[in-house]
Amino acid sequence: MFEFFFKYPFTVFAQGEFVLLARWPVWALAASILVISALLGWALWLRRKSPVKAMQAWRPALIWLLQCSLAALILLLLWHPAIAVSTLKPKQNIVAVLVDDSRSMALNEDGTTRLEQARSALEGGTLASLQEKFQVRLYRFGRAVQRMDKLEQATGVDSASRISEALVQVAAEATGLPIGAVLLVSDGADTTGGISPETIAEIRRHRIPVHVLGVGRERPARDVEISDVVLPANALPDSRLAGQVTFLHWGYARSKAKLTVKDGTKVLASRDVTLGPDGTPQTESLSFHAGLAGVRNLEVAVQPLEGEENARNNAVTRLVEVRPNRPRVLYLEGEPRWEFKFVRRAMEEDRNVDLVSVLRTTQNKIYRQGIENPNDLRDGFPSRAEELFAFQGLVIGNVEAAYFTPSQADLVRQFADRRGGGVLFLGGRAALGDGGYRGSSLEDVLPAALPQRAGTFQREPAAVALTPAGQDSLVCRLVEERDKNAQRWTRLPALADYQDAGTPKPGAVVLAEMTPSGGRRLPLLITQNYGRGRIALFATSGSWRWQMLQEQSDLTHEMFWQQLLRWLSSESPGPVVVSTPRRVLADDLRVPIRVEARDKTYAPVVDASVEARIAGPGGLSGTVALSPVPQEPGVYAGEWMAEQPGSYLAEALVSRGGEEIGRDTLAFRREDGVAEHFRTGQNRELLERLAQETGGRYYAPSGLNRLAGEISYSEAGITTREPKDLWNMPAIFLALILLKAVEWFLRRRWGVI
Amino acid sequence: MQARFLLATGIFILLATSLHGLQQGRFRGFPFGEDSPAPMPADANEKTEFVFARLRYPSYWSGGYGRRGRGSWTTDYPKADRQFLQGVRRLTRIHTRSVEQVVDLDTDDIFNFPWTYAVEVGYWNLSDAQAAKLRDYVMRGGFLMVDDFHGSWEWNMFLASLNRVFPDRPVVDIPSSDAIFHVLYDLDERFQVPGIQMFRSGVTYEQDGVEPSWKGIYDDRGRLMVAVCHNMDLGDAWEWADLPQYPERFTTLAYRLGINYIVYAMTH
Repeated sequence: MFEFFFKYPFTVFAQGEFVLLARWPVWALAASILVISALLGWALWLRRKSPVKAMQAWRPALIWLLQCSLAALILLLLWHPAIAVSTLKPKQNIVAVLVDDSRSMALNEDGTTRLEQARSALEGGTLASLQEKFQVRLYRFGRAVQRMDKLEQATGVDSASRISEALVQVAAEATGLPIGAVLLVSDGADTTGGISPETIAEIRRHRIPVHVLGVGRERPARDVEISDVVLPANALPDSRLAGQVTFLHWGYARSKAKLTVKDGTKVLASRDVTLGPDGTPQTESLSFHAGLAGVRNLEVAVQPLEGEENARNNAVTRLVEVRPNRPRVLYLEGEPRWEFKFVRRAMEEDRNVDLVSVLRTTQNKIYRQGIENPNDLRDGFPSRAEELFAFQGLVIGNVEAAYFTPSQADLVRQFADRRGGGVLFLGGRAALGDGGYRGSSLEDVLPAALPQRAGTFQREPAAVALTPAGQDSLVCRLVEERDKNAQRWTRLPALADYQDAGTPKPGAVVLAEMTPSGGRRLPLLITQNYGRGRIALFATSGSWRWQMLQEQSDLTHEMFWQQLLRWLSSESPGPVVVSTPRRVLADDLRVPIRVEARDKTYAPVVDASVEARIAGPGGLSGTVALSPVPQEPGVYAGEWMAEQPGSYLAEALVSRGGEEIGRDTLAFRREDGVAEHFRTGQNRELLERLAQETGGRYYAPSGLNRLAGEISYSEAGITTREPKDLWNMPAIFLALILLKAVEWFLRRRWGVI
Repeated sequence: MQARFLLATGIFILLATSLHGLQQGRFRGFPFGEDSPAPMPADANEKTEFVFARLRYPSYWSGGYGRRGRGSWTTDYPKADRQFLQGVRRLTRIHTRSVEQVVDLDTDDIFNFPWTYAVEVGYWNLSDAQAAKLRDYVMRGGFLMVDDFHGSWEWNMFLASLNRVFPDRPVVDIPSSDAIFHVLYDLDERFQVPGIQMFRSGVTYEQDGVEPSWKGIYDDRGRLMVAVCHNMDLGDAWEWADLPQYPERFTTLAYRLGINYIVYAMTH
């Protein structure tokens, strides 16, 4: 259709340059248009006193505009307009045909593979036409690019598809060869995450247009695919982990599917879900126990459904390091309270969190429990950052705000903000609003705006219930199933007391609420992120009744407090933290390593020497020296190549002046042949963008016959530049007729002919 | 007629105070069971963190809670409790009520009071159901302190019921190194605390209970669940703390032991 009106293919206009071939200067054209327009306007002005009412107001202006446009167009044609475009010289240029040889190209769709679809389209005359005009070089690519003699040599066996690398390699050949254009034959299922801007820039530098033959259905007919799995990278032994699985499906709306998490052959969690609408991402949560210390290679899967086209995209693996750490939580309590006793007892059952407590028993004495050394915390709450920051969590009980010196209050704030620890505030007669926290330097840390009135703490029973956020939170998970868990909370014995904590601050999440008899609902458990750390507020000191008022075998109280204090402390980072964006490398070998180094006060260390020692499969090992990252104090980065598939362990060591500051470990894994099975639908968006940004065009197999005519327009290779006349385009004549016809129609309508 | 009126009034008062006490944490008195009356403080109904719970148990001799409810459980009640609580208030940060709470093992109310004091347990006689409830109470985290029983006969009577509570757990001597003797006061040097009877008998012991012993029952994690003060009468030392003739050193030790036991119960 385009060519019918405009005489030439779109590519000519996209790549060409508009020129006027007449010898007359361009300014003369502009002047002529101005003069003619003025004359036409004058003529209309003379007729302004026409008795015809219809020619009043804006109508003469419109007639004038149409006449001017017609005159301008005719004048333009007199100046001989043309488009200058570079075309490849016949028989002197090479057209590179790159055929994607990855496994996704071997997917069977309606009885034919994608490669067969591509071959059929190319051998339907296009390839022969190209070979008549150009020298055609055939390549196949997956992990690497290889020349081939026949299209049949591409069989769809490669476990990766690296479009960028293939294009860059072919572009590099253009420096020695007259490559005039590239035809990429692919489904766009790139396994490196897409085509980088650097690749586009490199191709544009060589001016090679990349034309694309896109093959494959854009969406499968019947398939389930996991698109994302979010799991914590680290966990404490025996802790409960929560994961979120996002998946899509086509053709299975309202069907049942089973989600599983496996460690080897052992099923850690299993859950039935009902699938939503086609093509819509659906996110479901799963929780399971981390088990003993070690690196877990967990498989998260949707069990294959009957008739699925591709069952290999139903499972992904994730690494979780179950570290034998024992986070230490400091519990400061202002007076003997039952909550203190029962929290201590609950945590004595937890092998993975140490609770250290300081209790003010009298005006002058403190009682310390859980200390490692007789001198630990001898003076009560720490006054030095090194001492406080050695803990991972902090619980502040019934302690009035004035107890803390200004520097101690600042340390509490820094504990969360800089050190990345968790701080839990409890209710009490000298806590929160009744403890003078409103207006204190600690008010900013709290996740709620405290009420102005006094007497917020009441020793009256209050019933508890979870909020929707609490139903999803692992902290409040007493029973595995969400609904049953919510019901379990409503059946808990009433709290012995409650405190009005005020209004949750923006960004805070209320996990549980409480209702005193005859009173309004109040937030019970509020959490919020603060700096690098976490803050929680538990507005009661009466959860001990969950222990005393329930059967001896009931573990509600223990579970809740263990989960709460694990949440508080387990994610608190150490002074040295090593990380990588993806711990499972799917068909990739580059491992960016990032190390964050801090001293005992958790101030960034900017002058450290940092290295990562890596051990991999088959005795593979190496050391990477990491360099400081500009603009990020205390952050060091480097890259390692995981040459072989398998499991790797990296240990980052940070030292300064020969003295070790700290170390941290990181497990990662390279898996090959995995990514190719995901996102197997044709990535048309990527292919179209590639063609558009390089000056090429996207073709579907049915429209490939146009390629032979359009591929000649290129600025790469050996070209000749020739002008192509525009004056005889059908669109021009159509425009001339239209302008005059519209004027005639309007005049007739307005009765001014 | 007058007797009937008095009986009806008495029943009404008893019912009223009992119903009042059914509300969690509210003061529940036993006006007929007062062995040693004490004035009712103005803040008796204050809601506090700690409440001194006195165990009302059936006695061996009376076959129940005693005539008009005045069994052996009422010994020194309520003066000992209230005078001791004044000391707890003055010497610690514990937010305690000024009056005791009478609890028994016939209802679940005891579970609201994780610390319980029982006196003259040489005469207690728990039913199987009461023993099971006491075991449940202690295993959930409640703490029981027993006091004021003497000699081998009362010891055996005490064990007869205690063995129904804990058939599988021995009563052992608490070593001086245990936290219960150091949690607030260091009580390595302990001695027999006599009852008021010493003024009559001239000796600090009763029956054949010459040697005081501090015993207990531990749970599987090495925490004391039951503290047994045998051959001593801490209750009398609290009760007669205001008697000029009663030696101050006995009162001091009795207060320190009681406070240590409470602080221990609230920290372990």
